[in-house]
Amino acid sequence: MKDETVSLPSGRQWQVYSGGAGPNILWLHGLRGVDPSDPMLAALQTRYRVTAPVAPGFNDLDELARIDNIHELVLDYDDLIGQLELTAFNLIGHSFGAMIAADIAAHFPRRAERLVLLAPFGLWNDAFPVTDIFAMPYTQIDDILWHDPGARERFARKITADADAKIVAEQTVRLAQSLTAVTKFVWPIPDRGLSRRLPRIACPALLLFGAEDRVVSPRYAEDFKKGLRDAETVIVPGAGHMLPYEKPQQVMGAIERFLAAVPAKVA
Amino acid sequence: MKFHFFHLMPYPDLPADFRETHRSVWVDVPSKLFDPAVGHRAYNDYLDELEYAAQVGFDGICVNEHHQNAYGLMPSPNLMAAALARRTSGVKLVLMGNSVALYNPPTRVAEEMAMLDVLSGGRLVAGFPVGTPMDTTFCYGQSPATLREKYREGVELILRAWAEPEVFSFNGKYTQLRYVNIWPRPMQKPRPPVWVPGGASVETWDLCLDNDFLYANLSYFGYQEGQKIMDGFWNAVDRHKLPRNPYRAGFLQFIAVADSDAEAERLYAEPALYFYRRCLHIFPGYVNPPGYMSMATLKAGIEGQVSRITNRAGARAEMATLSWKDLVDRGYLVAGSPATVADRINDMADKLNVGHLMTLLHFGNMSKETTLYNTRMFAEQVIPRLRPRFSEWEDRWFPRDMPAAVAPAVSPEAVS
Repeated sequence: MKDETVSLPSGRQWQVYSGGAGPNILWLHGLRGVDPSDPMLAALQTRYRVTAPVAPGFNDLDELARIDNIHELVLDYDDLIGQLELTAFNLIGHSFGAMIAADIAAHFPRRAERLVLLAPFGLWNDAFPVTDIFAMPYTQIDDILWHDPGARERFARKITADADAKIVAEQTVRLAQSLTAVTKFVWPIPDRGLSRRLPRIACPALLLFGAEDRVVSPRYAEDFKKGLRDAETVIVPGAGHMLPYEKPQQVMGAIERFLAAVPAKVA
Repeated sequence: MKFHFFHLMPYPDLPADFRETHRSVWVDVPSKLFDPAVGHRAYNDYLDELEYAAQVGFDGICVNEHHQNAYGLMPSPNLMAAALARRTSGVKLVLMGNSVALYNPPTRVAEEMAMLDVLSGGRLVAGFPVGTPMDTTFCYGQSPATLREKYREGVELILRAWAEPEVFSFNGKYTQLRYVNIWPRPMQKPRPPVWVPGGASVETWDLCLDNDFLYANLSYFGYQEGQKIMDGFWNAVDRHKLPRNPYRAGFLQFIAVADSDAEAERLYAEPALYFYRRCLHIFPGYVNPPGYMSMATLKAGIEGQVSRITNRAGARAEMATLSWKDLVDRGYLVAGSPATVADRINDMADKLNVGHLMTLLHFGNMSKETTLYNTRMFAEQVIPRLRPRFSEWEDRWFPRDMPAAVAPAVSPEAVS
């Protein structure tokens, strides 16, 4: 993917990957940032033009110094969308990125044409609380993110005792930094009032959950649906929180069908 | 050298199989384990022990803040300091301290500490810890990403609230106040000494040295392990081109004194193992949430050992099998006859260059009788051997004795 730096009017620099051709997709990554060799992004690029910005803080925590809350974060994304001159696009987010995507669509209902939320953070239900992924050692987080051991082995190698210390340190610091950026917006409970804003979202939405997600229960699909004007749900069997990597064909298939079949409706 | 009696106020009645049957002593320790009758007894015994330490000549008595913690029953150490202010005189009240970021607005801390300073006649040491991740992020819900920035802003506000004679406005990121004008004002001028209990972070050392705060390392693992950290602190002192005045620094040490080394084991092995096995049973997931440590500190820590975080979890599991001999050999505990203990603390003073020793003479489920004995032995037979150390240095980080102390008592006859 092309790797470029985009400057916002505020002066902030933003790292953005892009590639492929076709209708626009703005992809907001989950807890682990953007991997340009990500096969999910590769699959999307066969049919779409994919733009994948790296969320503030993931590269440099100082980027968050001037972003105090979800509203200011969303303003930064709005600035970015303006700079990229994305006038018609489908907005897709995974996990933390899906929470941001939902809030972009709620704050700026005329921006995205369609919205896809994969295992989104952003709501809270006492009956099935979102798991506190910050209350576990870094070495154990992957245990809860993944359901499919094969997929996990491909994307997130288990840290073993004989692993190279430098590599382990690098991986751990990278993960810690990504999660630090996330904590700014979801600590201690990932609810910043999105439920009150969901009805503002004007475009059609697809909700995708892993049936075996132990971080965000698929039961949240109902809560999202209640607030959205126009939403459909797909529960992917055999997938956990990392569903786009665990079941890429099913996820890709659901996204393609949704983007092709559902007419864009912008307020 | 100065000596302080530090109390953690542990819950003394955790079940013997606590470690096997519970996940953590902190954050989610089940409240059904807490018996208020046991707590009532414990609080009153513990206050007696602190008051006794004052009577036998300790320079300071220390209380600290923990939340949802079965080894520290002081969510508000200020309440304990208030009780102690009324029942003591002369001894300094070392409040180790208030986790500034948890109070909204932080002027609450400025007010309560000023109350304590005035009530006690200028005997307060004001402790400003960032606070452990368990207390601040998990129990009190602060985001680790912003905790330190909020802490620093709060400290700045408190210092200004104490210092500025006129009403002022404070337009902070975390606190906005149109009118800051606290009543009462602290008795000590320009302000009570500030102590910062902290871990090994360059950021904390710089904060202390830039503001003339004392840095205290409150370790449960003794001065042999603490040396690396204190070396880092003294290197920071050099970097700031300041003299290595030992009274800039404090260190916490478990101490157990008896007539002989064998008697020490007989008296103290059980409460020591209660502390290390049951009280230090902390779920590893609570120890280092993302953002609590700066990335630089985290990186330095991880590269030091293959994976410090994994190792830490391992170290905690290892607590289950620690013996008295392990505790003493590793220096977690300084134990033995008065001569042995004095010898070890002299060694600590040589190696760590610490002028303020915070002693933990009560630990775990130690009985009141044993605690008073340990306290008396240390005060009578150890302190005199060590007192002259560092006398060539001036201690600017401790309250001065004030003459105007009021005796806190009224007798029935006084009312006619």
